Amino acid sequence: MAVDIVSVAIVSIYFLALLGIGFWASKKIKSTEDYLVAGRELGFWVFVLLMIGTVCSGMSLLGVAGLGYKAGWPTIWEQVFVPLSIGICIIFFGVKLHTIAKTSGYITVQDYLAHRYESPTALRSLSAVAGIIVSLIYLVGQYTAISMVLIWLFGIPLWLALVIATLVTMAYTTIGGLYAVAWAALIQSVMLIVGVIVMAPIIIFKAGGFTAVNEFIYSINPNLVMPWNPAGAFAPPYVVSFALLLGLGLACAPHVINNVLAIKDVRYFRWSPLIAFLVYGVVIFLLKFAGFAGLALVKTGVITQRAGVANPTDYVILDALQASLPSVALWGIFAVIVLAAVMSTTDRLMLTIGAMFSWDIYKNVLKKDADDASVLLLSKIVVIISAIGTMIIAINPPEMLAILIWMGIGTMLATFAVPLLAGLYWRGATREGALASMSLGLVAALVFGFLNYFKVNAMGIDFAAIPLHFSAYAFVISLLAMVIVSLLTKKTADKVLDETLTGWYISK
Amino acid sequence: MLFGLPEITIIAVGGVVLVITAALVYWGLTFEGHD
Repeated sequence: MAVDIVSVAIVSIYFLALLGIGFWASKKIKSTEDYLVAGRELGFWVFVLLMIGTVCSGMSLLGVAGLGYKAGWPTIWEQVFVPLSIGICIIFFGVKLHTIAKTSGYITVQDYLAHRYESPTALRSLSAVAGIIVSLIYLVGQYTAISMVLIWLFGIPLWLALVIATLVTMAYTTIGGLYAVAWAALIQSVMLIVGVIVMAPIIIFKAGGFTAVNEFIYSINPNLVMPWNPAGAFAPPYVVSFALLLGLGLACAPHVINNVLAIKDVRYFRWSPLIAFLVYGVVIFLLKFAGFAGLALVKTGVITQRAGVANPTDYVILDALQASLPSVALWGIFAVIVLAAVMSTTDRLMLTIGAMFSWDIYKNVLKKDADDASVLLLSKIVVIISAIGTMIIAINPPEMLAILIWMGIGTMLATFAVPLLAGLYWRGATREGALASMSLGLVAALVFGFLNYFKVNAMGIDFAAIPLHFSAYAFVISLLAMVIVSLLTKKTADKVLDETLTGWYISK
Repeated sequence: MLFGLPEITIIAVGGVVLVITAALVYWGLTFEGHD
C-alpha cells in the first residue's frame, strides 16, 4: 500500500497522544510504588479497561481473526475463555492478593510468593526469572503484531516498523510507569471497543452477513461450523486444554495479575468480572467472526491470501478491511485500533519485566539496602533493555502469531498457576513444593513447547500430534510436583498462613 | 440450522456463555469486599 498522508497523520496523532500521557504521568512519579503500582489509586473504569487492555493483545486482533480464518468455529472457545480470564484473575487471585497487599505493601506478585512460602530469596528469584522469560516470549509476539500493522499501512520495511513501534511504546512507558500505562490503556481500550464494534461488522456484511458466512464456510468444510473438530486440531480433548490454557494461563500471568495490586478499593472487584467478560467477549467474538468472513472473501476471490510473508493468515483481517472500506483514512483509524490493542499489552509487559528485575531481583535479592531512587532508575533502564531486546528477536516473526503468544501463555500457566493457587487456598503447600512446582513447570513447558513447535518425533511420540495443548502436560507436572513435594516437606508456619489469608475461601 | 450453524454449536457455545454469565452475576450480587 502506498503511504497516505491521512494515515500518517492519524497514526502520528495517536503516537503523540501517548507521549503526552507519558509526560503527564511522569509528573506524578515520586517513588517506585508510584511507578510500578500507580500509587494504588486506580479507579474502577481505569482498572476495568486496564485489565481488558492488558489481556487484549496482538493475538486479539490479528491472531484471533487469523485463527478463525484457518480453523473456524472450533476455535470459538478462545472468545469465551480469554474474556473469562479477567474474572478468574480477579475472583480467584485478586481479592486475596489485593487485601494482603494493602497491609503488606506488595509491589509485585513475587512479594506475595516470597511472603507466603517464607522464601525471600530462592522462590522470589526463581519466579522473577521465570516471569521475565515468559513475558519476553509474549512480548516478541506483540512486537510482531505491531510491525505487521505498520508494514501493512505504510509499506515500510519490518526493521523500521519495529523501531518506530519500540521507540514510542518504550518512551511513554519509561517515563510514566503504570500511571501512563493505565491511562493509555483507558484510551486504547475505548478505541478498541468502539473501533471493533464499528468496523468488524463492515467486513462481515461485505462477506454477506452472519448467516451467509456460516453457510459458506460450512460448504467448504462442515467441521468449520462445529464446536470442535473431530478430524483434526481442536478435537474435544484439545478444546478442554485450550480452555484451561486461556482461562487460567492468562489469569495468572504476572503482567495481568499485578494490576490487581494497583486498585483503590476492593469493591471494584464486585462487577468488574462481569463487565469485562461481556464487553471484551463481544469485541473478541466480532474479531473471530471477521476472520470467518475473511475466509469467505478469500474463497470467493474478493481478496487473496498473501504470499511471501511468514504468517499470511494473520494478515487476512487487514486485507479484508481494505477490501470492505472505501476510505484510506478509515484504514489509518483501524491501524491505530490494532496498534492500541497491541501496545496496551506491550507496555504492561515491559513494565512488569522492569518491576521483576529492579524490585524482586535487585532490591530484594542482590542489594537489599538499595535506595528508592536507584530502584526506580533501574526499572526504567530494564524497560528500555527489554523493549530493544525483544524488538531484535521479533525481526524474524514466527509462522503464526497466535502460536507464539500461546507459547507465552502456556508457559505462564505451567509456571505460575499451581504455586499461586496452592499458596492461596491450600495450607499444606510448602516452600519446597512451590520451588519444585515452578521450576519443573517452567522447564516442562519449554521442553514440550519446543518439541511441539518443531514437530519432533521422539521416543515413539509424534509431538506435533499430541492430543492436548503442550502446556496442559507441563501444568500436570507442576501440580504433581507441588502435591508430592509438599506432602514430604515441612509445613509453613501458621502465623504466615494466617497473614497471607491461606485457606479454602475467597473472602471472609 | 440457525444462523447457518448446527444446533450442537448453538447449544454448546450458548450454554457455556450463559452459565458463565449467570455465575458472574451471582458473584456480583454476593461479593461484599471491604478494605
